[in-house]
Formats: sequence, C-alpha cells, structure tokens
Amino acid sequence: MSLLELKGVTKRFGGLVAVDHVDLVINEGERLGIVGTNGSGKTTLYNLISGVYTCDEGSILLEGLDITNMPAYKRAHLGLARSFQIPRPFGQITVRENVAIGALFGTLIGEIGEDEALEIGEYYLEKVGLYPKRNEIANALTPIEKKLMEVARALSMKPRLVLLDEAMAGMNPKDIDRIVEIINKIHEEEKISIVSMVEHIMRAVVNFAERVVVMNQGKKIADAPTQEALNDQKVIDVYLGRFALEEQNA
Amino acid sequence: MNKGKYYPLFVAIGIFLVLFIFGKFAQGMWEPVALIMFYVAVGEAFNVFLGFTGYVNFGYVVFMGLGSYGMALVVSSSSMAGLGPWILIPGFLFAAIMAGILAAGVGAIALRLRGAYFAIATIGVNQGVKFFIEGAKIWGGSEGIIISKPLKVALGPHLANAVTTFWADFLVFMIAILAAVITIVFLHTRLGYGLIALREDEDAARVMGVNTTKYKNIAFLVSSILAALVGATAWCLKTTYVFPDDVFALSYTVDAIVIVMMGGTGTLLGPVVGGLIYGILKYWLGILLPGFQLLILAPFIIIIIILFPEGIVGVLKKRVRGKKLEKFIA
Repeated sequence: MSLLELKGVTKRFGGLVAVDHVDLVINEGERLGIVGTNGSGKTTLYNLISGVYTCDEGSILLEGLDITNMPAYKRAHLGLARSFQIPRPFGQITVRENVAIGALFGTLIGEIGEDEALEIGEYYLEKVGLYPKRNEIANALTPIEKKLMEVARALSMKPRLVLLDEAMAGMNPKDIDRIVEIINKIHEEEKISIVSMVEHIMRAVVNFAERVVVMNQGKKIADAPTQEALNDQKVIDVYLGRFALEEQNA
Repeated sequence: MNKGKYYPLFVAIGIFLVLFIFGKFAQGMWEPVALIMFYVAVGEAFNVFLGFTGYVNFGYVVFMGLGSYGMALVVSSSSMAGLGPWILIPGFLFAAIMAGILAAGVGAIALRLRGAYFAIATIGVNQGVKFFIEGAKIWGGSEGIIISKPLKVALGPHLANAVTTFWADFLVFMIAILAAVITIVFLHTRLGYGLIALREDEDAARVMGVNTTKYKNIAFLVSSILAALVGATAWCLKTTYVFPDDVFALSYTVDAIVIVMMGGTGTLLGPVVGGLIYGILKYWLGILLPGFQLLILAPFIIIIIILFPEGIVGVLKKRVRGKKLEKFIA
C-alpha cells in the first residue's frame, strides 16, 4: 500500500527547475534509496516532502490525505520525520533532551509528558549506540555521533516515514557499514518506511535499498529494484558515467 | 512524577526569602533590597522571552511602561475609587490587558523577523508608543499621570503610604515568584522544549513538529504581561506617578539584557543571580562613587560576559553535571 504519493511535483527557483514533474510512490514499510549527483534535486525533493518548501505544481498525498500546502510542523505530527545533510542539533542542550524533543512533537504530540519523552529518547539513543553520551551537550558530539543523534531524534517521533539525508556522507567504509546495519535493524524492528538519500556511496545503497530512484537535473530518470536500476543504461550514462561501463566491458 | 525537578524553584524562593527578611529587619535596607528585587523581577520576566527563544526584545520597556499606565489609569479613574484596596486588582488586570494587546499585535508582525531585524522593530515600537502618547496628548501627554491624590482617596492616607513604602515592593517579590514558577513550568513542559528547540534551530524545530510561530508568540505574550505587572507596581504604585520619559527609557531594556546574559539565559536561577549582582553593584557603586558607577559597572560586565559567556548559572550548571548539586541548579 502506498504511504506517500507525489504527483507531478515541481519546484522552481527563478529560472532553475530544481524538481521537475516528479511522480513518486513510497510504500508502507519500504526501504527506498534516492541517488543522484550533486544538484540533481534530491535535497529539494526532501524539502518539498517535509514542508520546508511548498510545491509550485503538483500534489503530495500522505495516505490519501493531501498535504501539499500543509505547514511542516503538522506534517511532522502526521508521521513525517527527517534528518539533515549537515546535522542540525539543538546544540546547547543535552543529547537526551534533543531526542526527547522528537518524542514530544512527533506523532505522539499531546499524548506524553516530559518523563515519557526522555524515556523514549533514551530507548532510541540505546538503539543507535549513543546511550553513554546521553548527558553530553549536543554540540560536543563528533560529526558521526551528530548524524546518529539525528537518526535517533527522527525515530523518537514515532514516524511513519523517515527521510535520511546523506546519513552516510563523509564516513569511512567501516562507519558506513555500521550505520547501514543500524538502519536496517531499526527498519526491521519498527516497521517504518525509510528513504535514504545518497550522492555516490553505492556500498550503502546496495546494502540498504530494496528499490532505487535515480534523479538527474530535477527529473526522475529511473525507478526500479536496486540492481535493475543500477544496471539501467540511462543511469549508467548520466550518473555512473560511460567510462564505468567501458571499463566493465574492457 | 519526579519532584526533584522543582528544587531550583525552592532555591530561588529561598533567596527571595533571605532578601525579604534582610530588607525587613536590617535598618534602612528595605529600599536597596527593593531595588535589587526590581532587577531580579525584570530579569526573570525578560528571560521568559530572551532565554527561551533567543530573540532580543529591545523595546521590552514599552510593556513595563504600558503596565504602569494601566495601573495609573485605573487608580485615577474616579469610578473605581469606591473599591478601596481592591482597586489594585482591576489595576493589575488592566495593566496586563494593555500590555497583552500590544504584545499580541507586535508579536504577530515583528516575530516574523529574525535576529537584529526583530530587535530594531521592537525599539521602534517603544519609541512609537512614547511619542504617540506625548504627541496625541492622551493620558496626560508628556506630563504623565500623577496618582498620589486618587491613591489616597481610594485607599485612605495611611494605607496609601503603606503601599508606596512597602506593599508595592512586596508585590515585586510576588511577581518574581510568579515569573520563577512560570520559568520552571516552561522548563519541564512541551512548551519549553519547543521554545528551546526553536531557540537552537528554528527551521529544524519546525520540521520536527514545533509550531514555532505559536510558541514564539506565547513566550512573547507571557513575558510582556510579566513586565507590565512589574511596571504597574514598581513604578506606578511605588512612585505614584507615570511620566513617559521615565517609563519608556530604553536603558531599562539594557539592564534586563545585562542581567539575563550575566546570570545565564534560559536558566531559572540566572536572572536571580544576575539581578542580585547587578542590583547590589549598581546600589553600592552609586553610594561609593556617585557619578562613576557606570564607568566601573560597564567594564565589570564586559569582563563577566567574556569569562562566562553562558552566564554564571550556565557555567555553574556545567560544573555540577553528574554531581549531587545538579538537581538544585536550573
């Protein structure tokens, strides 16, 4: 069943069409990878889904409900959560409080108080392996820890769909494997849809995604199960590069 | 529920109690204590907005000024003179309503601005209100309102005297306690968490489900109404007059900023400690080196802010993390 549906979504910045008539369906409980080069419109697409930008054209449906013009905070209450490419921690408060804010303002908004939110926060910090750092000020974390904290913060919102923005960028292969493992484990336990966006870390895409969407210059150029999409001629041409193909054939 | 959360509130009230007893029973100490308490209350009221949202409201004094006008208008209206001492209740109510209406209007517009733009817009509001009152000659224009006579009529000469010498200051203590209670409630509820999230990163907070516009406006409104209550008692009732030049003086906003920054923004005890230090210094320097107090106070404040960028209580909070004292400091 489709959880989120984008129909002809378009966003322009002046003359630049950042996202160009994109149709996309995200299914319940799915692990979807979105890949594309720098400037291909991935982050804009995330911003449109999470409500940071509004669409110029097209519509976005969450379980059939039209959320195209809904403010970002209301989308969060309905179960949309995301992380940011450059982590945006609430720097001056503790890691535990950061994650508790997710719980207080996610789909459980109004249902839980401070104590429960802090408990939920600790639960997810445990899951991403940050529990020992729970009482540190968020700004004191390393970049990788900040990314993990953002994942925990998004999960504590008890979302239906988590959008991860370059959660693995700038990491060494060992850390990538670790974070993919964490995300896959969480997906299994929480039964939520996870969309992960990566620029060029194929290692992460192959190990994580069941399906891959490839973006190029604002357009969706491929949408298929992972292996199929990565072997698509068009994808190889514009994204992986012809050179890779020639090298493969040689 | 975890009762330990509210310990810092008892620390604050304990400090107020010590101050109160000292002021009441030490010879000639009531006036300085009242001055210190005024700074503490102003700092706490200001902190509800600055500390939780990170927005600097440079026109803050306009709400204190309007509060004192609200009280003055009620006390001087002959139709309420029959209420006796109860006249203070509609007085405070009217002060709160006047500040509340202005805060709702200013908040709806100015809170769309961020950073320095917001600060500039709020200065404009203060100057605008002041020149409007003077220019349009409403509420006595630039001559202000003098309430010593109607206060005596309403309360009788004996009680009116007690109000100006004791009860007006006592009410400042009460408002400081009210502001402290509001702060601790904010610190431990969704509202406070949402405000802190938006203080740290407004865009991230929105995406995470915080209705930032609503929350900012709530904090602005609460902080403004607290300011109005302080103005109504510490200025109008204590001095029995309201002059636009006095009650819209921007220097009071600067006092509030210094108190909160020095003590620690967004903490409960910060404005208490900041107000104490600031009030004591201002009072003693005024006696020891009359005319030079600002010359000494200013570098002292610069040094404190450089040494403790997170404020005295902010640094203290860091030091006690994980120790027994932790639950007493917030």
